[in-house]
Amino acid sequence: MAAEPPAAPGRGGAPGRGARWRGAVGWATGSVPVSIVLALLIGAVAIVIAGKDPLAAYRAMVEGALTGPGLANTIQRAIPIVGLAMGLAIAIRAGVFNLGAEGQMVLGGLAGTVVALEMPGPGLVVLVAACLAAVLAGALWAALSAVLQTGLGVPILITSLLLNYPARYLSSYLVRFPLRDESSSMVATAPVPEDARIAPLIPGTSGLGRSLAESLGRDDVLVLVTRGVNWSILVVLAIVGLAAFVNRRTPGGLESGLAGLNPRFARYGGVDTSRLAVSTMMISGGISGLVGVMLVLGSQYRLIEGALVGTNYAWTGLLVALLAANRPLRVLVVGTFFAALVVGGEAMQRSQDVSAQISQVIQAAVIVLIAIRVRLPLPKRSRQVREPAGTADPAAVSEAETQVGRV
Amino acid sequence: MDWSGLVDGALFASVVRALIPVLLAAMGGLVCDRAGVFNVALEGLMLIGCFAAVAGSYYSGSALVGVLVAVVCATLLAAVLAYGSVSRKADPIVLGVALNIFAVGVTGFLLVALFDVRGVFQSPEIVGLPRVRIPGLADLPGIGPVLFDLSLLGYLALVLVPVVHVLLFRFPLGLRLRGVGERPQAASTLGVNPTAYQYGAVLASGVLCGLAGAQLALGNVVQFAENMTAGRGWIAVVAVMLARANPLGTLAACVLFGFAEAFGFRLQGNGLPAQITDAAPYVVTLIALLIARRHFSRTVATAATG
Repeated sequence: MAAEPPAAPGRGGAPGRGARWRGAVGWATGSVPVSIVLALLIGAVAIVIAGKDPLAAYRAMVEGALTGPGLANTIQRAIPIVGLAMGLAIAIRAGVFNLGAEGQMVLGGLAGTVVALEMPGPGLVVLVAACLAAVLAGALWAALSAVLQTGLGVPILITSLLLNYPARYLSSYLVRFPLRDESSSMVATAPVPEDARIAPLIPGTSGLGRSLAESLGRDDVLVLVTRGVNWSILVVLAIVGLAAFVNRRTPGGLESGLAGLNPRFARYGGVDTSRLAVSTMMISGGISGLVGVMLVLGSQYRLIEGALVGTNYAWTGLLVALLAANRPLRVLVVGTFFAALVVGGEAMQRSQDVSAQISQVIQAAVIVLIAIRVRLPLPKRSRQVREPAGTADPAAVSEAETQVGRV
Repeated sequence: MDWSGLVDGALFASVVRALIPVLLAAMGGLVCDRAGVFNVALEGLMLIGCFAAVAGSYYSGSALVGVLVAVVCATLLAAVLAYGSVSRKADPIVLGVALNIFAVGVTGFLLVALFDVRGVFQSPEIVGLPRVRIPGLADLPGIGPVLFDLSLLGYLALVLVPVVHVLLFRFPLGLRLRGVGERPQAASTLGVNPTAYQYGAVLASGVLCGLAGAQLALGNVVQFAENMTAGRGWIAVVAVMLARANPLGTLAACVLFGFAEAFGFRLQGNGLPAQITDAAPYVVTLIALLIARRHFSRTVATAATG
C-alpha cells in the first residue's frame, strides 16, 4: 500500500475500481503523505528553534533508526508499540475509545512480574503463567471502564483515562516499598529468574548464535537483529494476524466494525453493543497487559519504577492506531514507522544534541494534520456528502465506505 | 500519626489554590460544551499555557508578560482545534487527544531546546504571580485568608463563575450560544452563524486554558515541570460533565477536586505514602462520576459514548 506512487496526492483514485483498491490508494495518496511531509517540516522548524541543523538531525535520525544496531532497536521497539496500537485499534474500531492503555499495560507488567517472582516451577510454566496474569490484570482493569459505561453511563473515554493514574501510583507504591529490591541501586523489583525471561530470537551465547557471529561477523545486521529482538515479536505478529482474520472473516469482526460505524444501526441489527463494549475493552486491555509483561520479561527483566510509563508507548500506540485507521496490517506498518521515529529520535539526541521528544512532536503533528485532512490544493472529486451541520464527519463517512466495502 | 488539625483554615486556602487552574480550564470546556463542541484538548492547551507562561516570565522578567504569552500560545493551539473541529468537521476527540500529545512533546522538546534542562525548570528569574490581599476583607476571620488572598487570576476565576452564568442564561449572546449547541440548523435559520459561535467558544477556551496554565505554573508553583498539568485538564472535562455544563455546578465539582488534592497533601504530611495520596483526586473524581451517573451534559455524553 505504501509503495503506491504518490502521483495524485489529494485524490481518492479513479472511481469505478474496487472499493478496497480505492481505499488503499486513497490512504496512501490522500492526506497521509502530505501530512507526514508537513509534520516533518514542523519538526524541522522546532529543530531550528533549538539552534540545530535540521538536515543533519534528520540524517542522524534515519541512520540511527535503520542501520546496524539501530535496526534491531527499531524492530524491538516496534513490538510494544504495534501491540498496544493493535489493542487500541480493536477498541476504537468497535467505537470504544480506550484511553487507558497506559494503566492496563502497567498493571499487566505488575501482575506478571509478581507471578514471575513468586511462582515456583519450571521456567516456561512460570513465563506462561506470568503472561496470563498480565492479560487478566489488563483485561479486568479495562473491563471496569466498560462496565461503568454500560451499567452507569459514564463514558469509557473518561474513566479509562482517569484509571491510568491509580494504576500508575499503585504500581509505583508497590515497586518502591513492598516489592523493592534493596540490594539494587535502582528503584526496582528483584530480577525475574533467568529461565522465566523471554529469550532473544538467537541468543549470542547459544551455539547457533556463536557460529552465526563467526561466519557473518559480529556487526552483521542479521546477527544484531536476531540477538536484539526477542520472541515477543511472534506474539505481536500473531495478534495482528488474528485481528486481521477476525475483522474480515468472522461475525464478531463484522459486528464490532458495525458498532464502531453506527452503534444505533448495529443495535437495530441485533448486536448487543453493551456486551460488545465489555468484551472489546477486555481484549484491548488484555493485549495492553500482555505488552506490559513482555516488556518486563523480555527487555528490562525487572519492574523498574516509572519505566513502563516513561516510555510513552501507550500514547505512541494510540497515535499509531489513529493513523492506521484501526486496520491491522496498517497498524503493523505505521507502528514500525513510529518505532523508527522514536529510535531515530534517540540517535539524534545522542549525536546532534537535539531532544528526542521531537519524534513525539512529529507523530502527534501527523495525526493532527490528518484529522483536519490537510491536502494539496488539487481539484476535488465531485462526490460530495451532504450532512447535517455539526454531526457527521466526512472522514468517518469515507472511512465507512472503505470499511463497508471490505465487510 | 497526628490526625488533629487535619482540617483547618490553611486546608481551605490550599483547596482554593488547587481548584483555580481546574476551574479556569473547566469554564473554557463549559463554553465549548454549550456551543456543541466536545473539547478534550483542555489538558494540552493548559500545558502549553504553563510552558509559555514560564518562558514569557523568564525572558521578560514580568509575570504579566508571562500570562499574555500563555494566553496567546494556548489560543493559537485552540485555533487549530477550532479550524479542525468546526471548519473541517474533524472528530473532536481524535483531534483533541492528538493535540494533547503534541503539547506534551513540544513543551518537553522546548524545555531542552530553550533552557537546556530535563524534567523541571526552576530559576529565580521566573517571576511568579503576586498574591493580592484585599485590605479589610482578607482579615475577616475564617473566609478572609481563604478567599481574599489570591492572585489576580484567582479572583478572575471565581468572578467568572457568576459572569458566565449570567451571560449564558440572561443575555442574548448566551442564548444564541446555547442555541448553536443544541440545534445548529435552527440557530442558523434565525440568522445566528453557528460557525462563528463555535469558533468563539473554542478560542475562548484557549484563552481560559492559557490563564489556567499561567496560574498553575506561575501561581501555584513557580516552575515548569514536564507534563505538569497531570490530568487536570481531564478533570476539568469531568467537572463540566458532572455539572451538565452548569457554571455553578462546575464550580462545585472543582471544589470537590480541589478538596481531594489538598486533603491528599495533608495526609501525605501525616505519613501516608505520596503514591497513595497522589491518586486521591482521580479516585474522588471517578467516584463523583459514579454517583452523578447519567446526569451528564448532552454533548459530552453523545460525543464520548458514541
